[in-house]
Amino acid sequence: MILVGELSLWVALLMAVWTATVAFAGGSLRRQDLVASAERGTYATFAMVVLASLGLWSAIFTHDFSFKYVASFTSANLPKAYLFTAFWGGQAGSMLFWVLILTFFSSVAVLTSRSRNRELMPYVIGTLAIIAIFFLATLCFGANPYERLDWLPVDGRGMNPQLQNPGMAIHPPNLYLGYVATSIPFAFAMAALITRRLDAEWLVAVRRWALVSWFFNTTGIMVGMWWAYVELGWGGYWAWDPVENASLLPWLTTTAFLHSVMVQEKRGMLRKWNVTLVICSFLLSIFGTFITRSGVISSVHSFAQSPVGNWFAGFLGIAIVASVYLVTTRLKDLKANAVLESMVSREAAFLYNNLVLVGIAFSVLWGTLFPILTEAVRGTKITVGPPFFNAVNVPLGLLLLLLTGIGPLIAWRRASVANLRRQFTIPAAALVITPALLFVAGMRSMSALIAYAFAGFVAATILQEFYKGVNARRSMYGEAAPFAFIRLVARNRRRYGGYIVHAGIVIVFCGLAGLAFKTEHDLTVNAGDTKTLVDPFGHTWTFTSQGVSRYDVLNREVTAVALATKRDGKPMGVITSEKRQYFSGADPNNRVPTFEAATAVGIMGSLGQDVYVTLAGVVGQDTSEIRITFNPLVRWVWIGGFCMAIGGLIVMWPQAERRRKQGGYVTTLRPAAVAEGA
Amino acid sequence: MTIGRREFLVSIAGLAVARVAGAQGSANTMDGPMSPDAYHPVRLPPKPGATPLLTDLQRDDLEHRLKCQCGTCSLDVYTCRTTDFSCPVSPSMHVDVMGLVSGGYGVTEILAAFRSAYGERVLMAPVKEGFNWVGYIAPFAALGTGALVVFALLRRWSRPAREAQLVEDTVHATPEELACLRDAMRNDE
Repeated sequence: MILVGELSLWVALLMAVWTATVAFAGGSLRRQDLVASAERGTYATFAMVVLASLGLWSAIFTHDFSFKYVASFTSANLPKAYLFTAFWGGQAGSMLFWVLILTFFSSVAVLTSRSRNRELMPYVIGTLAIIAIFFLATLCFGANPYERLDWLPVDGRGMNPQLQNPGMAIHPPNLYLGYVATSIPFAFAMAALITRRLDAEWLVAVRRWALVSWFFNTTGIMVGMWWAYVELGWGGYWAWDPVENASLLPWLTTTAFLHSVMVQEKRGMLRKWNVTLVICSFLLSIFGTFITRSGVISSVHSFAQSPVGNWFAGFLGIAIVASVYLVTTRLKDLKANAVLESMVSREAAFLYNNLVLVGIAFSVLWGTLFPILTEAVRGTKITVGPPFFNAVNVPLGLLLLLLTGIGPLIAWRRASVANLRRQFTIPAAALVITPALLFVAGMRSMSALIAYAFAGFVAATILQEFYKGVNARRSMYGEAAPFAFIRLVARNRRRYGGYIVHAGIVIVFCGLAGLAFKTEHDLTVNAGDTKTLVDPFGHTWTFTSQGVSRYDVLNREVTAVALATKRDGKPMGVITSEKRQYFSGADPNNRVPTFEAATAVGIMGSLGQDVYVTLAGVVGQDTSEIRITFNPLVRWVWIGGFCMAIGGLIVMWPQAERRRKQGGYVTTLRPAAVAEGA
Repeated sequence: MTIGRREFLVSIAGLAVARVAGAQGSANTMDGPMSPDAYHPVRLPPKPGATPLLTDLQRDDLEHRLKCQCGTCSLDVYTCRTTDFSCPVSPSMHVDVMGLVSGGYGVTEILAAFRSAYGERVLMAPVKEGFNWVGYIAPFAALGTGALVVFALLRRWSRPAREAQLVEDTVHATPEELACLRDAMRNDE
């Protein structure tokens, strides 16, 4: 199996080259036989990559340490679940995983779109095959997962302890799915530009794939935040690390596209802008991969510096040049069909929303690259950390939150004063009342008050929309409220699914604003010691150390401290925090420690706050250095993320697409001449 | 394709810092090689009759503004020293901060002392001076420019619409037709 897999990688490269060649030839010569061959080539490439992947998994599961990849990222005592995830735990394996997803998505795109987009498909297939060629060539010549050692290690190095977490089984695949899904809209955009068929046809397929990308990126980012929170022990979930930023960039541009595409569907406007956003999303995905793999920017998440960074830089450069050339030579074909009638209209609101989303993307990109720029200009190394990103992005984020409420309520084409009054009276009241109530309740953080004011405003707009919709159904069909609600969402999934996504964003912002009230306490405790702390809500907590225990579990030695906790005198249970020292080798008398000790935090959570305990270290036998953090509202970040994902799934549901008519407004008018009795 | 033992052992040191692409959060382990010259002592003579100017909370806040210089994490000194017992650099930097605080130095002086010892990279965010202003201003300048462009475009696009409106006002249509059109548009809202 391993040998078959190794050979399949090379065959996949050849198949991809064949596919790209016949696809472009078939498209330009209008030879359907060549296009059909390209379609089959896409499936064959996918099949070969599946074999190559199975081969690597086989090598990992059989502990074949003659392979450098297997020896570098696994060990004989690694739990089986993590043997599976080791496939994407290193540079070469993760790239193979990337191309596995790419060829799978390519096959699905060909299968679902070949009859609907016959003119575009040769170029779509060709573009996707070129992307596959790049990844496969990089795998074969730059970072081959089948690279062998000329000696056989007794055991492998093992997996980084922090990757031995269930979140790591979900987070990277989701992010890869999100990244790779941007390739399909990019391929359609390229095809539309090459063929100059820039009508609404290509948008239908593109929008669905953009949603797929958005959905997986959202879940990937959210699961990653959760993993960082429960695994890394520093009490936060977002540190504005370059690699984190890289995952956010395509999410921002895809989100912008999913809004602006509505303007093109409804009004035939923003065509240049939409093509640009689709292209940017793909380029930013490649850029993120370049950052992760090149070593150009220092990041704790980077793979070891390797020559594949140069490959990515080259590919990125070619993709940018090709995209710019195609867009600039097709500007006339991208002229808008309609004109904007008012600056107070939904299409204008979407434009403002796009401006802020792209502004945030720019600021994140700028902050990520600024250390390089500074070093080039001044020769000085600087750090651009959370204080910079928060200073720049918090105001923009709040502005975006406000626009989240405004956009959906304004009428298309032109909003009348009556429309504005009707739609905004209640939300405007919520905008004022929410912070006033919180102020009276004792909240004094200005940034939090603004965030909750805007959150209240947006929440009111969403609730109002659902209330109106449910009421309309109740009066029209006599349905009970819960059924009316379900049918309302089911019958207009795109609109109400979008509102659910917006509700998720509001909830996430509420959770993020809770950071303003986070408190941290450093303690040194001996067995039996009791420490008393007051949380941000004013409750008194006592923590009594139950002592330090040491024991073995699976492939690790655990040092744990247990704290019996009480809140306002009421027992709340025991929180345990651990330090885990992983080791390789099955023989307990001959253990070799791998990596530094990792932290496993203890969390006692509720909707109000998390009590987050980190064991920093142990002095002597029973003295532990711990940090206790009260993290208010952090659970709402995960709930909001879940809500966003659910909303995304509802929007993605196919029926919504089929029901929607393209091309703008349709109404029946009698000819004026007849009415005049001419 | 084979690789030698020495090559493998050398590469393994680099691979120690390998991470899954796109992983979130800031790792605080010391998997990579710690630079032996990462720590630079930051010590100044105590001021005459010195008393600490900062409370413990203010000192912790100050440590949030200093980056641990171990070279493998991207955490601030406070977070690193309180969550990772194995890092030898952040506790040493913390001791220096404590020394300067008890020596009667204020926030600005302490930050300046660290900056002169490590360079600007020891600060978690660039100082707002000189070329660094470009970093802070550029995002807002870009957004402002974008807003102006959008505003100009909206004006240009809406002009033909206003002209079309004038033409529309003179279109021959019965009141019923116009009412029908208005109904259709209202429904679409």
